[in-house]
Amino acid sequence: MVSLTTKPMTQATTQPGSSAGRTLHPALGTTARVLGRRAFQAAGVVVLVSTACFAMVQSLPGDIAFRIAAGRYGYDQVTAASADSVRAELGLDQPAWLQFLDWLGGLVSLNLGNSLVTGASVAGELGLNLASSLQLAAVALILALMVGTTAGALAAARPGGILDRLTTVWVSVTRALPPFLLGLVLILLFAVHLGVLPAAGHGEAKNIVLPAATLAVGLSGLFARVTRDTMAQIRQSDYVRFADTKGLGSWLVFVRHVIRNTGVTLIAYVGVQVLVLIEGVVVVESLFAWPGLGHALVHAIFWRDIPMIQAAALALALLVVAMNTLVDLATAAVDPRPRHKEAVL
Amino acid sequence: MGWQKMRVAGASAIALLMMTGCAAAGNDSPAAEQPLRVVGQFELHSLDPSTAGGFFTRLQVAETLVDADVKGVLQPGLAEKWDVSADGLSWGFTLRSGALFHDGTAVTAEAAAASLNIAQGKAGTPLATVPVKGISAVGDSVRVDLTEPYAPLPAVMAHTSTQILAPSSYGTDRSITKIVGSGPYRVKHIEQPAHIDVAAFEQWQGKKPAISEVTYQAVGRSESRALMAESAQSDVTFGMDPTSLQRIKQAGKLDIAAVTLPRSILLKVNAGHEMLGDVKVRRALSLALDREAMATALLRDREMAATQLFPPSLPEWHQDSATPLTHNPSEARKLLAEAGWAPGSDGILERNGKKFSVTLRTFPDRPELPILATAIQAKLKELGIALDVKVGNSSEIPAGHKDGSLELALFSRNYALVPDALVTLAEDFAPAGSDFGAMGWNDPALTEALNALASGKDVDKSAENRRKVNEILQTQLPVIPVAWYRQSAVVSPRVEGLVLDPLERSWRLSDLTWKK
Amino acid sequence: MTNAVAMQELLPASAGDSKRPKWLANRSATQLVSAGLLAVLVIFAVAGPLIWPGHAVQDLSRFLEAPGAGEPLGRDHLGRSVIARLAHATQLSLVMSVLCVSAALLFGSLAGIAAAWRGGWIDSVLHGLSEVFIALPALLVVLVVSAIANGDLWTLCLGLALAQWVEYFRMVRARSGLVLAGPAVEAAGLFQLGPVHVIRRHLLPELRPLLTTMATFGVGSSILALSTLGFVGIGVRPPTPELGLMITEAFPFYHEAPWMALAPVLVLTTILIGLLGLRSKESPA
Repeated sequence: MVSLTTKPMTQATTQPGSSAGRTLHPALGTTARVLGRRAFQAAGVVVLVSTACFAMVQSLPGDIAFRIAAGRYGYDQVTAASADSVRAELGLDQPAWLQFLDWLGGLVSLNLGNSLVTGASVAGELGLNLASSLQLAAVALILALMVGTTAGALAAARPGGILDRLTTVWVSVTRALPPFLLGLVLILLFAVHLGVLPAAGHGEAKNIVLPAATLAVGLSGLFARVTRDTMAQIRQSDYVRFADTKGLGSWLVFVRHVIRNTGVTLIAYVGVQVLVLIEGVVVVESLFAWPGLGHALVHAIFWRDIPMIQAAALALALLVVAMNTLVDLATAAVDPRPRHKEAVL
Repeated sequence: MGWQKMRVAGASAIALLMMTGCAAAGNDSPAAEQPLRVVGQFELHSLDPSTAGGFFTRLQVAETLVDADVKGVLQPGLAEKWDVSADGLSWGFTLRSGALFHDGTAVTAEAAAASLNIAQGKAGTPLATVPVKGISAVGDSVRVDLTEPYAPLPAVMAHTSTQILAPSSYGTDRSITKIVGSGPYRVKHIEQPAHIDVAAFEQWQGKKPAISEVTYQAVGRSESRALMAESAQSDVTFGMDPTSLQRIKQAGKLDIAAVTLPRSILLKVNAGHEMLGDVKVRRALSLALDREAMATALLRDREMAATQLFPPSLPEWHQDSATPLTHNPSEARKLLAEAGWAPGSDGILERNGKKFSVTLRTFPDRPELPILATAIQAKLKELGIALDVKVGNSSEIPAGHKDGSLELALFSRNYALVPDALVTLAEDFAPAGSDFGAMGWNDPALTEALNALASGKDVDKSAENRRKVNEILQTQLPVIPVAWYRQSAVVSPRVEGLVLDPLERSWRLSDLTWKK
Repeated sequence: MTNAVAMQELLPASAGDSKRPKWLANRSATQLVSAGLLAVLVIFAVAGPLIWPGHAVQDLSRFLEAPGAGEPLGRDHLGRSVIARLAHATQLSLVMSVLCVSAALLFGSLAGIAAAWRGGWIDSVLHGLSEVFIALPALLVVLVVSAIANGDLWTLCLGLALAQWVEYFRMVRARSGLVLAGPAVEAAGLFQLGPVHVIRRHLLPELRPLLTTMATFGVGSSILALSTLGFVGIGVRPPTPELGLMITEAFPFYHEAPWMALAPVLVLTTILIGLLGLRSKESPA
């Protein structure tokens, strides 16, 4: 799915290295600062998200006990009697604030509780979903990066050339193609006609290829575009020209300046895309029967499985913080600016 | 951690791409040792027999005391025979000797009684509605004492929620922690909600299954399931949507097994409602439905147009002699006019200044329901009835029944949840109404007939009572039948011998064989 | 995605954008073609429902009828005219996405300007609120709101707007902060020219190019998001035609009635390509 999500990076990540070089021990200082700030943020996020989430779920219409009973017993056997037994068993008659306190209490002792529908531990179920989502996102990202950056770099080598124009077309087409169509085409081609890949499912290693490819195609266009624009811009920049006139070989210039600088921009986008991938691939998950977080969240909301909704929301929110942290650290590691001073001047 | 993970994943992605290239070459001759791959739409949400959706009886992991064949005739299960006392209040189920649970322990009457006692305590299961006084173990048989006679008890003992599990299945709080059954297959691995692996149980007393390993995978979208069947990724695929089935039929490469289910798609009507309480209005609604066109266009199966509530797959209840429900818009208009409804300025019917506008609730779990609802909406609009279709959650129907806000509901009802339809019917058409049955409607003659059937007396009058039930439902229309249901499964050329069970109790995978 | 895309479009080119005097003046060929495509679709969305009004009229006996003289796009599984449904769906999707984006843009920008202008507790409250929305999974917000909506179009719109306003807020807040602190605004303050003048003369010219770009992508991603909701089974209620719902309904028939499945996909793709092309910065040179 192109996605429901809008997950801006924090301002800090878009201004790479603004404060990084000034401390005495640049790398160490940055890391500590980043981690400290993010840990504080994470704590805030936990409180905010769980409160907001609980309030939102409580405001949903309909009798929660009936919804949970439908999830448990299925449409053939959901009855008022089963709903009553669910209500009694789960103590849904308690006032909402008491239920919320219960949940917070559990959270403090790192207990996410049990799913209201399946009765299984939320942590276990969520772990599977999270792992599947991360796996899918990682493979999709790698594929997209390989294809996208290569295409972008080649396109930037000769702006306005045939390759550049082809990349532009590719970018538009992949970004406008709805993922369910792309997924269907891939399944028909690779599974039904060629028979080389499984159409859908989860469990075997091969299963990941088609959903990941579906996501990767859409992303590769974006990465190609970012790479191409950033590279073209950097190639025009003063310090690369200076390095050129200084007589550094073009390969060295490419590696030392262009790749590193492109990397900084790219890392920020990769960070955003990972979040989009993890949160927003409901369509692909649904088409390929992939047990990801999006799938879990849709089901949990449909059934009013409150602990599951809260845990999933919490996991996603913490993932945002974690990803921002990673991006900060990676940017600090790759950003050439501090070194640039020492090396060139 | 993230980057490390990604590097690993990246390497594995490349490796995967290479592997798939290699796999392409050797894909043509699947080894017979490979497990049988079954794909269906349902997810396993819980191990508890009352909520597990019958997975473990369908996969023949767990047994019930009583079994049923594909015609719905009761057969010995874990109990080899059963009998009832003269007053009809005490039943004995004698266990098959030598039966073993998958953990190697013997199936004892104590274990069976314990399982049944736990099942009896769960709300929303058929056993919970039986007038049970006590369930106990007596020697090698399970004794069930009732407070009043209940003839269909053996049928209830065939319901999946009454499966007998080994004591080692239960945790300290009597919740199910694992499934240790006594059937021909044992659980190898479960990954909720989408995966179940089972393997043949070596010490099974009966005929050894020809297929020794089975994996079940849940896939939510019917298109995806069809594609899996077409790409030879599944051997037995359940839950086909009509158009995919047409495509697979036309391609002719895969076998299709089909059976009509004792399941009807019907409109539940709130007969206590000021507009729908009039039987003329209910008849008009029924006459407005073009069932044949709906069955042909939407279910792609003309024979599934319902002419009465009970499909032919319930031979005892289906009456060939019944006057079929038909499509007749002009007769419907006449009935509505007789009931006092006249078209208003906007074409919508009005009576005493009130518009004929009602809401229909349905749910998307069965994909044909919202489509049928849309077709019904268009047909009622032709008559001047404004129908608002709300596609929501299945629980909104019982919830609306409870608080009285329900007007119309469209759902599919399985009349053979237990092999004897009487159990479901007695509940659905109880005088006080029922979640998926009558609402604000009762008929003393119908109640009397159902009670007579349930008591088990006057067996020679049973056929007459069933005919009476059918006739009352057909004329009073507390629920309006829309369509019947055919279950199809797509079978790969690797296997043969699939016979679908109309009761959806078992997939009978132990009868399958690899094709030579 | 909106944000990712918009940021990507904005970052390398923001300087160029602000330097461009009137962006109407020098349009590339791509932009003209895209504008043409979009114009055709808008005409279809406006005139289509008038030409083919009966989008809910069924004729079950003619289900999945192939395209012919009377029905250029054939009929769907319920025997409804595909072109009539498509026209209504295009209209609805365009109107809804524009509404979503307008709501998000209006609220986001106003909040952003207010935060940058007044600072203090207003800024703290609004900034805190935006942090909550960033931390809350957007998917959750949209799903919950659509669960409350139960098929109601306007509530659905609100849900999408709720998920989108933050990016406008952040962008406007950051940019306005720079502009308001600049010498021009300081001078305006000396002349006591008032807030209306500052907004019209200083803020809007600075913000407009960015906001247009973001809104353009916002419309595209709203349409996709709506269609996604349709695909997972939440969204508008039948028989309302909406592009996502049409695609979802037609999806199983891709083999039997490809015209029915392809038509809405084609419209969706054209809208998206058109919007992307409109913002294409491919220079004419």
